[in-house]
Amino acid sequence: MSFLGFILKTLVRQKVRTWLTVLGISIGITTVVALGSVVGGLKETSAQLLRAYDSDFIVAQKGASDLSFSAVTEEEWAAVDARDDVERTVGALLHVARAGGNPYFVTVGVRAEDLAKIDLNIRDGRLIAPGATDEVMLGVRAADKLNAGVGETVELDRRTYTVVGIMKADSVWEDSGAFAPLATVQEHAKKPNVVTMIYVKVKPGLDRHEVADAIEDDNPLLSAVADVDEYSEVDQGIVIMDALNIAISALAVGIGAIGVMNTMVMSVFERTREIGILRAVGWSGNRILRMIIGESLALCLIAAAVGTALGVAASRAVLYIPAVGSLLEPAYTLDVFVRALFVAVVVALVGAVYPALRALRLTPMEALRHE
Amino acid sequence: MSSEPIIEISGVVKTFEKGVIAALRGADLSVRAGEWVAIVGPSGCGKSTLLHLIAALDVPDCGTVRVKDHVLETKKNLSHFRARDVGLIFQLHNLLPTLTAAENVQVPMFEAGMSSRERSRRAQELLALVGLDGKEKQHPAELSGGERQRVAIARALANEPPILLADEPTGSLDSEAGRHVLDLLARLRDERGLTIVMVTHDADVAARADRIIRMLDGRVVGDETLRAAPAAASGSAH
Repeated sequence: MSFLGFILKTLVRQKVRTWLTVLGISIGITTVVALGSVVGGLKETSAQLLRAYDSDFIVAQKGASDLSFSAVTEEEWAAVDARDDVERTVGALLHVARAGGNPYFVTVGVRAEDLAKIDLNIRDGRLIAPGATDEVMLGVRAADKLNAGVGETVELDRRTYTVVGIMKADSVWEDSGAFAPLATVQEHAKKPNVVTMIYVKVKPGLDRHEVADAIEDDNPLLSAVADVDEYSEVDQGIVIMDALNIAISALAVGIGAIGVMNTMVMSVFERTREIGILRAVGWSGNRILRMIIGESLALCLIAAAVGTALGVAASRAVLYIPAVGSLLEPAYTLDVFVRALFVAVVVALVGAVYPALRALRLTPMEALRHE
Repeated sequence: MSSEPIIEISGVVKTFEKGVIAALRGADLSVRAGEWVAIVGPSGCGKSTLLHLIAALDVPDCGTVRVKDHVLETKKNLSHFRARDVGLIFQLHNLLPTLTAAENVQVPMFEAGMSSRERSRRAQELLALVGLDGKEKQHPAELSGGERQRVAIARALANEPPILLADEPTGSLDSEAGRHVLDLLARLRDERGLTIVMVTHDADVAARADRIIRMLDGRVVGDETLRAAPAAASGSAH
């Protein structure tokens, strides 16, 4: 029998209590994993947004609480486009509207001539024709969901469009959305003469960060975002989600630690005489300490495994919500699982401290006399 | 028989409840290696307290307890002493219910730095020694009272201590099972040269020892040698 085997036998003895504790901790771990992977997915979506259309960075309204609320006027856009250090710009107006069963369908308003500048992967059909007002290009996921093909019509936010092309993009949100003529989207969204953001490609050989800084210097109302780390300048959502993630992790640690502490205190109390026997046959205080921390760690590692599995399942489940499924793909990065493990280990250690100290304070005779 | 005392107790006082209850009031005792000593006396005379002090489960208020070369009241690492130098047998077997007989015997060995394989092999040998061959995988609940006590004896021998300390080892057994346990202790003493200190209130049980120490009101009041102890086995495993 190994020392680990001894520890596991103790946990198995109290099956119901062990599993209830594991369940309690694993709920916290589930939240950490699910939220972490969703936030990671959102960041990945943001990164894809920045890299879209072979651009070097985006320019949006400074300080916008959410990128979709950003408004860059066509005059500001023209000023950026006219710069000597800029090779090309593409203005895009994001409009979220109902389409089919998805109330959060993203329609991107783009000028037809700008679409020609973008290296789109067209699976079927063609680009929107210059001057057209009711043509639309769908992403492959959107075409599938709306069950629409080239030549057919679709209704986006109570307006009927003719599908002229199907395209495959690198990002989930583009694949799940559509391109429509900029003027039409501006009119429908009641945002005349503005775009949400400008995709900027700098002249060859120039440093994109320097150009981005120069644009910000020239127009303090604009923010140029070249990296995901700067994304919070134009969208507070990710910052809030990140903060929420940390807060929930801290909460999971607190609640989990109390649960583990309760279990371990009960366990130590019930096994006081047993601890006395172990001390009587020569177990050192250090080994008793290792036994209690080991039990606590074993509980929390089982909970980490269960919670991680549930967290992955939960993050897959939220994809069935159309608004989420059309915007992101959860990112199961190493840091999400490391954070879950970290939470489990911290819960185990914090939860074991008091019971361990309580056990260590007992003299062998005190423990042996316990009934 | 070795003339050197392996246990020497001198002027030991032990009180409880902040000095209100005096369990030992200046007890003296000397036990030679290889002796089987029975400590007898009425309830509350301090015999179990004396045994607990020898086992380093408790410390005296004053006086000296020396076991082998260890002066216990000043010794720092008492758990190491308990693991290596004494084996304890309780009235109630005090086995861990979730562990098998073999696993119970292995428990003290964790402190002896043995490998898992070595622990397993040694537990099997010890169970065979106490006549429980084939019962290695039985849990305490599946064993008779006498068998449980024999597992406890095997556990006490786990780290090959030179001294066995038994607190009413037959107290919870019927006479037949009790006799078997005493026969086993006698055999261990004879074959392994173990020193045995046994607390009992039963005169018949005490009569199996070489020497009877009588206690009253926390003091040793009588010391009767029944028979000469056999020579301690020079090749014993300690």
